[in-house]
Amino acid sequence: MNFLDQLLSHAPALLVAIPLLGAFLTPLIGRVNDKLRNIFVIGILGFTGILVILLAQQIFASGPITYVFGSLDPYVGKETVIRILFEIDALSIFMAMIAIVLSFSAALYSWAYMEKNTGLDKYYSLLLLLTVGMLGMVLTGDMFNFFVFLEITSIASCALIAFYINKVKSVEAGFKYIVVSTIGALFVLMAIALLYGQYDALNIAKLADSITFSFVDKIALVLLIAALAMKGGIVPMHMWLPDAYSRAPASVSLILIGTTQAGLYGVFRVLFTLYGNVITLPTISMGWALVILGLLTMLVGVIMALIQIDFKRLIAYGAIAELGYMFLGVGTCLTILANPDITLAQAPFAFEALKGGLFHVFNDALDVGLLFMVAGAVYYATKETSLNRLGGLARNMKYTTIFFIIGLLAISGIPPMNGFASKLLIYESTYQLNPILSIIAILSSIMLLAIFIKVFHAAFLGPKLPQFDTVKEVPRSMLLAMGFIAAFIIIFGLFPDLIVNTIVDPAANALIDNAGYMRWLIGG
Amino acid sequence: MLDMFLQTFDTGNGFWNPIVWIVAFVVIFLIVVIIRGFGNKNYKKGTGQTKAFLSGNQEYEKTQMHVKASNLYWGWTESMKWVIDGLKKMHTGNVSDYVLWFVVVMGILLLCVGLI
Amino acid sequence: MNFMEIAQTGITIIIGAMALAVVGIVVGLLYKGIDRKIAAHMQGRIGPPLRQPFLDVRKLFVKENVIPENAITWVFNLAPITGLVATITILLYLPIGGFPALLDGIIVAKGDLILILYLLMIPSLAMVVGGFASGSPYATIGAQREMATMIAYEFPLAIIIISLSWRLSLVQGTTHVFSLSTITATPLWGIVGPLGFIGLVILLLTLVIVTPAELSKIPFDSPEAETEIAGGLLVEYSGRNLAMFYLTDGVKTLVMGTLIVALFFPYNLSPLLGLESYTAIIIDILFFLAKLFCVILFSVTLIRVSIARLKIDQIVYTYWVPLTLLGLVGLICLMWDQTIMTQFGMQSIANMLGLI
Repeated sequence: MNFLDQLLSHAPALLVAIPLLGAFLTPLIGRVNDKLRNIFVIGILGFTGILVILLAQQIFASGPITYVFGSLDPYVGKETVIRILFEIDALSIFMAMIAIVLSFSAALYSWAYMEKNTGLDKYYSLLLLLTVGMLGMVLTGDMFNFFVFLEITSIASCALIAFYINKVKSVEAGFKYIVVSTIGALFVLMAIALLYGQYDALNIAKLADSITFSFVDKIALVLLIAALAMKGGIVPMHMWLPDAYSRAPASVSLILIGTTQAGLYGVFRVLFTLYGNVITLPTISMGWALVILGLLTMLVGVIMALIQIDFKRLIAYGAIAELGYMFLGVGTCLTILANPDITLAQAPFAFEALKGGLFHVFNDALDVGLLFMVAGAVYYATKETSLNRLGGLARNMKYTTIFFIIGLLAISGIPPMNGFASKLLIYESTYQLNPILSIIAILSSIMLLAIFIKVFHAAFLGPKLPQFDTVKEVPRSMLLAMGFIAAFIIIFGLFPDLIVNTIVDPAANALIDNAGYMRWLIGG
Repeated sequence: MLDMFLQTFDTGNGFWNPIVWIVAFVVIFLIVVIIRGFGNKNYKKGTGQTKAFLSGNQEYEKTQMHVKASNLYWGWTESMKWVIDGLKKMHTGNVSDYVLWFVVVMGILLLCVGLI
Repeated sequence: MNFMEIAQTGITIIIGAMALAVVGIVVGLLYKGIDRKIAAHMQGRIGPPLRQPFLDVRKLFVKENVIPENAITWVFNLAPITGLVATITILLYLPIGGFPALLDGIIVAKGDLILILYLLMIPSLAMVVGGFASGSPYATIGAQREMATMIAYEFPLAIIIISLSWRLSLVQGTTHVFSLSTITATPLWGIVGPLGFIGLVILLLTLVIVTPAELSKIPFDSPEAETEIAGGLLVEYSGRNLAMFYLTDGVKTLVMGTLIVALFFPYNLSPLLGLESYTAIIIDILFFLAKLFCVILFSVTLIRVSIARLKIDQIVYTYWVPLTLLGLVGLICLMWDQTIMTQFGMQSIANMLGLI
């Protein structure tokens, strides 16, 4: 028991350290044996997953954890906080859960999916590094640290997007991604510099405590939000996303969902926590900006998805549309929080909207992830991604078809799948801010249904095509990974109340509870 | 313990209980299957009966019998053409345009916080 | 909740579901017969007897159940069943015959308007999937048209539902505004002022025009369009599978009719006449059936007899431009009405007429 306690007390550091160590050990083990390497990677991610769950239990029970690197006390002297620290509250661990679920299933899926490729040692190293980046982004309590992890994700995902280096379009997508994310990261760095120059601190809690919303702070806010929203793929800065998602291997697209969501996490953290003390000052317009960006994201996403004919590109646009729901939900809450005339207790719908938005983050990761894996499975079996040339696969690939149906129902929010629960929360709260918001959200959800029904027809239904006569069901590791995510989807769909109460509600509370985040600073 | 799983999901303005729906769905599914069971199950396999109906025309090759994805939703794309064309024009695929949009959004956000 | 309660709830659900399945199918088919009879009279024909839909179903059950060779068998067979089952489950959430919905009153409330909106999509979805799964070009064309129609009409439908709930949420002391028990308990007609009254009429009109598309009736039946694409998404269906779709259509008519009655005319006769116990129940059921008849007459029969079929792009245009605008005008009327009532102290219509 003593060992477990020891382990738990250092869990925040281990969450990042273990995959990082694993990333550099992977090539070494790859020298010995390919299978051993795969098992090693899955084992590392599985162990990290267990740590996340253990840590989550502790956090849900007893509130946020502050883990200081190299010391027990964040202070040096009396005032200065220069130590790096991880500040893990319910929201951080919630995002970490998403990241680890996605990475774990990606590793499982890669076993068979990537088997025939060369350079797999590097692939697995990068995959673990990407996980490190995502976990670091959501767990850290330090702005500069956040930037470092942001860069780690950027570099790792760029290399993974361009993994099929012999294909021109993959390399092009990788190039576009690195340009966009470098520029984004540059602006993040600039914003951090602006804040550091003013307050002589990099720690989020410390900064949040001393922020005054001066002229420079305003600029920093805009830079941070714009850059992180670009990393999150919000319209009209979404254009890199379909390129990247559709050209990367399917298992990588799966993790890329996690990285975009880590970007969104950054947006939420900056708005609610970093600028939390001055939340009523940035005026209502920041919340409205989020809401309007969300609506735009939904509409542009669904309309563009409806006319796509490439399987993965279509899903990528669908994923963009889903991002809009999160912005809508969270933005609605922000408009109310930012309004000095209304308290949160007077407008209970705002908190429901926030819960809906955050719940949708998890649901989107699962739904879109499952669909990407199905797209990968179809590609694996037929070597074809154009929906114009596919058809009739439901005969040969029964399990994949069933997983696709689950994904289709979930992403378009048909009851009793998980997408319905979170969308219900969003519809039934945002309408109180303005009825139009809910109307557009409902419309987009129906368009999503149309989009994926089109895929269902084009790829799985229709007459038996002679060129796909010999197509076989995909190997077991891919089915297992799809089943893993599908199980989550069904459980979340059947017991929405349980899930919302256990993990989403604490996360939403943590996001609006600023004092809780700064507890170590204020209360010592 | 069981309670936790049977709770109705309450959003403050509405509610939804998946379990109740699932139970009702299963019960009605059984009833409908029984009703359907009274029907005639047979047909003549492998005869002209099972060929696709094409108003008496000969069936084409299988690849031509499958309506392609890009031909779907014609009515919708036709009446929403102006929106789609506008959006297509926006997606140039040129990375400098991507960055341009980023700058545009930054400008709008600067307006939002009241700096410009 | 102890074990006994759970068992009790479970048994209520099971018995209720069985009863509703039977009632839904019978009443649905009956109204189909009435609809056909009236339509025939309007066209100067005698028309089939009222029990014709029952005879049709019996005929379909005797016919062969052909599964085309291009079809994906399991999807092809499952689609009609799923559609019918999902349609019947909607009845669980609707107040039928002037009583609270089965799952709304007896057991604690379990489903709301948004759920009904989504469940209403499942039968159409089943038809689309069934059509696609037939593997025939005609069926595919029909199915994609159905999907396009669905996108088209859900826009105004969403406006109607959200507008009503939004207006209801402003009424003091209402909780769970999306639940049908709240909506039927506080009819909006008595609450709004004159402008809001106009708004409600506009929304009702929009809903009446949405209904024929929801039920794929002329002029919005281009997915089936017998004269152009030979029955469209149903072209490959026959025998008992077609009978399932036939029944779905009947039940769905009942569902849509009940929904309109619940949203806009949730009044009962018995409190007005001061009746109690059995007479009250009987009067309420009869009154409900009469309301249902009126709704179906106006939203299905009259429209389908008097207007010719629209092309698919015209359908999309009709719903996305004129009807959406109409719905938005209704919503704006409700919004302005609220402002006028709170700021200038305008009284509600019911107050003005001295009804309250």
